[in-house]
Amino acid sequence: MSANSMSDPRRQNKIFRYKPPTTDSNPTLEDPTPDYMNLLGMIFSMCGLMLKLKWCAWIAVYCSFISFANSRSSEDTKQMMSSFMLSISAVVMSYLQNPQPMSPPW
Amino acid sequence: MRSCLLLLPALLLLLALPDTRGRYNDEFDDGEDLAEFDDNDFAEFEDVSEDPTVETESEPPPRPAPSSSPVEDDEDEATVETEDGQDEFEDADAQDQDMFNKYDQEEFEGYESKSNPSFKDTLIYREVPAHLQNSWESYYMEILMVTGLLAYIMNYIIGKNKNSRLAQAWFNSHRELLESNFALVGDDGTSKEATSTGKLNQENEHIYNLWCSGRVCCEGMLIQLKFLKRQDLLNVLARMMRPTCDQVQIKVTLNDEDMDTFVFAVGSRKAMGRLQKEMQDLSEFCGDKPKSGAKYGLPDSLAILSEMGEVTDGVMDSKMVHYIVNHADKIESIHFSDQFSGPKVMQEEGQPLKLPETKKTLLFTFNVPGMGNTSPKDMDSLLPLMNMVIYSIDKVKKLRLNREGKMKADRNRARVEENFLKQTHAQRQEAAQTRREEKKRAEKERIMNEEDPERQRRLEEAAQRREQKKMDKKQMKMKQIKVKAM
Repeated sequence: MSANSMSDPRRQNKIFRYKPPTTDSNPTLEDPTPDYMNLLGMIFSMCGLMLKLKWCAWIAVYCSFISFANSRSSEDTKQMMSSFMLSISAVVMSYLQNPQPMSPPW
Repeated sequence: MRSCLLLLPALLLLLALPDTRGRYNDEFDDGEDLAEFDDNDFAEFEDVSEDPTVETESEPPPRPAPSSSPVEDDEDEATVETEDGQDEFEDADAQDQDMFNKYDQEEFEGYESKSNPSFKDTLIYREVPAHLQNSWESYYMEILMVTGLLAYIMNYIIGKNKNSRLAQAWFNSHRELLESNFALVGDDGTSKEATSTGKLNQENEHIYNLWCSGRVCCEGMLIQLKFLKRQDLLNVLARMMRPTCDQVQIKVTLNDEDMDTFVFAVGSRKAMGRLQKEMQDLSEFCGDKPKSGAKYGLPDSLAILSEMGEVTDGVMDSKMVHYIVNHADKIESIHFSDQFSGPKVMQEEGQPLKLPETKKTLLFTFNVPGMGNTSPKDMDSLLPLMNMVIYSIDKVKKLRLNREGKMKADRNRARVEENFLKQTHAQRQEAAQTRREEKKRAEKERIMNEEDPERQRRLEEAAQRREQKKMDKKQMKMKQIKVKAM
């Protein structure tokens, strides 16, 4: 399989440890989706809460779900949970204040 | 009197008759008929209000006997009659309050519409608000939203599992080859000792890493499995418009002695065009347009970017060509470079002040067959490509440019460095100027802060002397230049 079929190419003394690539060196390779979606989710949920718009609150829920799905495993779960809770509270408050069902825009 | 006696049973009969409008309207009609027949008897009742007539008429059904007596009486005993009538009202009130109220409403319903027909046109029928309707159907938008969320969650779980299975399948098929070539297979960098974890690092739900190290000819190899975002429903829908495929990216970092100085790339035409624009080293060292590899037997879909022809000849030996031709569809790009520094970085304020750090690197990007609809079995087809990677590592170690090639390569690198320095000359001058000013300012501050006046004076004098010396030197230089010019 290996090119040096005679000898073992492995060298125990040449081991280098894994260093996670820094984000400074390649900012273009990072996926900005989870951050944008997080921000959007917060904006929509604030709109939904302040302006009492149900559709804003629902979109905020969707945004926080999308942000969660695209997030890196190294990211803080607290941030995710807080955006979730904010969007869900926006939906609940909109319905408590005005239990009428949402009317479609058409 | 007798007529009244006859009228009463007639009234009872009429009441018994079914009528869609309700018996209470009948009573009204009857009342009016009766009034026509015998105005006198009912006159006082009619004048007072409608209620008494209603009540007297409704009285007959429950108690015909007592009511008949006031009706039969003459006008002379009208007062007595009314009193009796009123007593009966009281009794009725006491007994059937609710019934009378109900009758009242029903009575007035028909009456209103008859007396004021114009109101019918202006009657506005308000819709019952949806949330009071007590039906789930009015909440259909909400149900849609929740269904959408559930679909998203389902897709997340399914996508995550599929990616995980694909990654595991890849690792299982490649594990043996990697373990026979590297002493350390799998490291997350956190453990104190360098022991093989033997598993992939999960960076994301769609990106998996594997670090292998401990081999001759190279420092280490980082393998990134970049799968499609199957866990994100939006991405899945976007991919329906524009299909893309999973990718395996392999980056081999080499020590200085493992590689000679050259820059080379081969891959699909589209990828080569893109890399030439994006990558720092390819744009600087491989200025020409991507060339066809037909000379070496490569298919037309692939193109070559090279620093010089000798490099291409050296890299494209028969075995390499064999690998590439057999798996041309899976190869996105192969990039060997001793000046690799990543993609071109966009600067905010002009160029950086020094050259970016470079590292000797071999980069491979492979497309997983299946165009998104991959199954775990497809991962086995990538195994020969991993063999190619291992072969390349050994080959690059042995590949050495001849004297001419080496000179050309050194010249190229010197040229690039010079260009860079020229571009940044202005910036570096500015930076030097600012540094000098900073120093002066710091010194002045030190003098100011000095409390002892004696020492202050001495420091000031020393600074003045230094400045004077500098001015003299400058003047000397200017004189020399003038002399030379002459």
